[in-house]
Amino acid sequence: MGSIIGVLKNILCRMLQLLSFGKKTITNSLSVYVKISGGRTVAVDLDPTWDIKNVKEVVAPRLGLEPNEVKIIFAGKELGDKIKISECDLGQQSILHAVKVRGRLRTTLPPPSTSLIEDIDEQASKPLSETLNDTMFSNEDSSKSSSNIDDGSTNSGEGTNRTNVHFYVFCPTCKALKTGKLRVRCHFCKSGAFTVHSDPQSWNDVLEPKQITGLCENGSELCADILNNKEPTFAEFYFKCSEHTSLGEQDQAVPLYLIRPNLRDVPCLACTDVSDPVVVFPCTEGHVTCLDCFRQYCITRLTERQFWQHPEYGYTLACPAGCPDSFIKEIHHFRLLNDTQYAQYQRFGTEEFVLRSGGVLCPQPGCGMGILIDEGCVKVACINGCGYVFCRLCLQGYHVGECRSADTEIGANAEACSYNVDPAKASEARWDEASKVAIKVLTKPCPMCRTPTERDGGCMHMVCTRAGCNFHWCWVCQTPWTRECMGNHWFG
Amino acid sequence: MAALPRRIIKETQRLMQEPVPGISAVPDDSNARYFHVIVTGPEDSPFEGGLFKLELFLPEDYPMSAPKVRFITKIYHPNIDRLGRICLDILKDKWSPALQIRTVLLSIQALLSAPNPDDPLANDVAELWKVNESEAIRNAREWTRRYAMDN
Ligand SMILES: [Zn+2]
Ligand SMILES: [Zn+2]
Ligand SMILES: [Zn+2]
Ligand SMILES: [Zn+2]
Ligand SMILES: [Zn+2]
Ligand SMILES: [Zn+2]
Ligand SMILES: [Zn+2]
Ligand SMILES: [Zn+2]
Repeated sequence: MGSIIGVLKNILCRMLQLLSFGKKTITNSLSVYVKISGGRTVAVDLDPTWDIKNVKEVVAPRLGLEPNEVKIIFAGKELGDKIKISECDLGQQSILHAVKVRGRLRTTLPPPSTSLIEDIDEQASKPLSETLNDTMFSNEDSSKSSSNIDDGSTNSGEGTNRTNVHFYVFCPTCKALKTGKLRVRCHFCKSGAFTVHSDPQSWNDVLEPKQITGLCENGSELCADILNNKEPTFAEFYFKCSEHTSLGEQDQAVPLYLIRPNLRDVPCLACTDVSDPVVVFPCTEGHVTCLDCFRQYCITRLTERQFWQHPEYGYTLACPAGCPDSFIKEIHHFRLLNDTQYAQYQRFGTEEFVLRSGGVLCPQPGCGMGILIDEGCVKVACINGCGYVFCRLCLQGYHVGECRSADTEIGANAEACSYNVDPAKASEARWDEASKVAIKVLTKPCPMCRTPTERDGGCMHMVCTRAGCNFHWCWVCQTPWTRECMGNHWFG
Repeated sequence: MAALPRRIIKETQRLMQEPVPGISAVPDDSNARYFHVIVTGPEDSPFEGGLFKLELFLPEDYPMSAPKVRFITKIYHPNIDRLGRICLDILKDKWSPALQIRTVLLSIQALLSAPNPDDPLANDVAELWKVNESEAIRNAREWTRRYAMDN
């Protein structure tokens, strides 16, 4: 089916290509843009089987130059003449940079000679994304790879070291985790006509600014000034989604650099399955979970409000094995959650901010809206949430005069502790599945930070689960946990 | 019922093949998330000679949440209440998905060897353990003899 249409289409394509390029026939074209130093951009159709020399032959006439007067720059590298288009990690609508070879033949440093041509040929190479490999980016800590047991596999598996690097990104266009492509531009003028002096060797080189120097070939006066003042120009690395057609230079994706290929088949610490890719936590141990367990971990910790409002990174989590200094810096990793979960993440993050700023959370079950209030204000209305109007002190419905229940002041009288507990309910207070349902009826606000807390069975001794609070309190008295509470109603 | 996660299957297999010395943990015939556990009282502890039955349940979100464990056999211990619930940090806030059933059982065994009456969850048993340790140990021996032997 469709064979006739296919044939017709083919013929039509060939005719069009013949029209545009005369001698070259493109069978499987790749439409890219070539940006010429000076700002002009031309659209060009390339055949993936061509080499860079062919590209120069097509581009040079448009610049009014000879092919050998042009160099092609892409992803931080000047591309060598013999490199095939298909080896260049180019996608539809990618932007190549064409620069006139200037200083090269009249350069003051090396005198023009025949050997110079060869030198230049060596400088030219494939784009960065094709020369980097995963092993460089998998262990920041090189001692770890040497101590690892499967060193042998690197020798036996011939392809191991040649695997092109895999980057994972959160793509705002696809709204999902996608594979990404590394791109390079001048940190100063943001031009892509930029070649690096050395390849990045680690995530640090890529993520931190001013790690790798390079040469800006944009011809911009500004960047020339920098060079003249002997301040080096630096490479700025960024990422594009490899799964949708580029929407131009502004179309970028956030690198989720904790997601990496599982080169050494490390099992997930939670489910013990070996999967690929995996999340590698930023702890010295480099603990690994699969993506599913990472999501599960986030959801569980989110529900328990155990995310931490980090002053620099935002609302985040540490390694599930409890390693020190292992907070996730790039909170876009939480975009792995689905929309509902991510909305909850954002809500809790905002609430945490509200609490840190001296606000309260609406005590209405199922609401929990964060409300910022003035110091002396007692009557609080949940305006943007459920509309509940409550007393800031006792978190009951708003009332005139004194709060009625005694459990408002922390450390109030012991009377409140003689609260009567239904003995039938107490005997049901077992952890098993059946009683969980019976117990899981109420939430009470933590007396310290007012976070709604659920009692899921067990004793009346509550420890606030909110990261950073950890207040020990009595479920019955809603006051700090005391010896009296222990003696009178530890288990209700 | 949802399929049993591979992790639980693997952990169960390993518990069967390489049991923790002094501990047996067998999954229930009808519920693979429910384990019948027997811990032998450690030597040189007041629980020596006793066989303590426990139940262990792996909740739906295990290993993100800790297993639920409870002593069925009555035991006189400052960190275990009269309903058999255990006060152990790794069953609460110190739980990590990197821990396993095996680690939990080993920790419980260690708790029998080294009771901790200073834990904030202390009760009357803990009180006695602090003011009159020898009497508390005598009680623990007596309870072990009465409830954890000959059954
Ligand atoms: Zn995309
Ligand atoms: Zn520049
Ligand atoms: Zn997993
Ligand atoms: Zn870790
Ligand atoms: Zn509300
Ligand atoms: Zn009030
Ligand atoms: Zn709290
Ligand atoms: Zn109390």
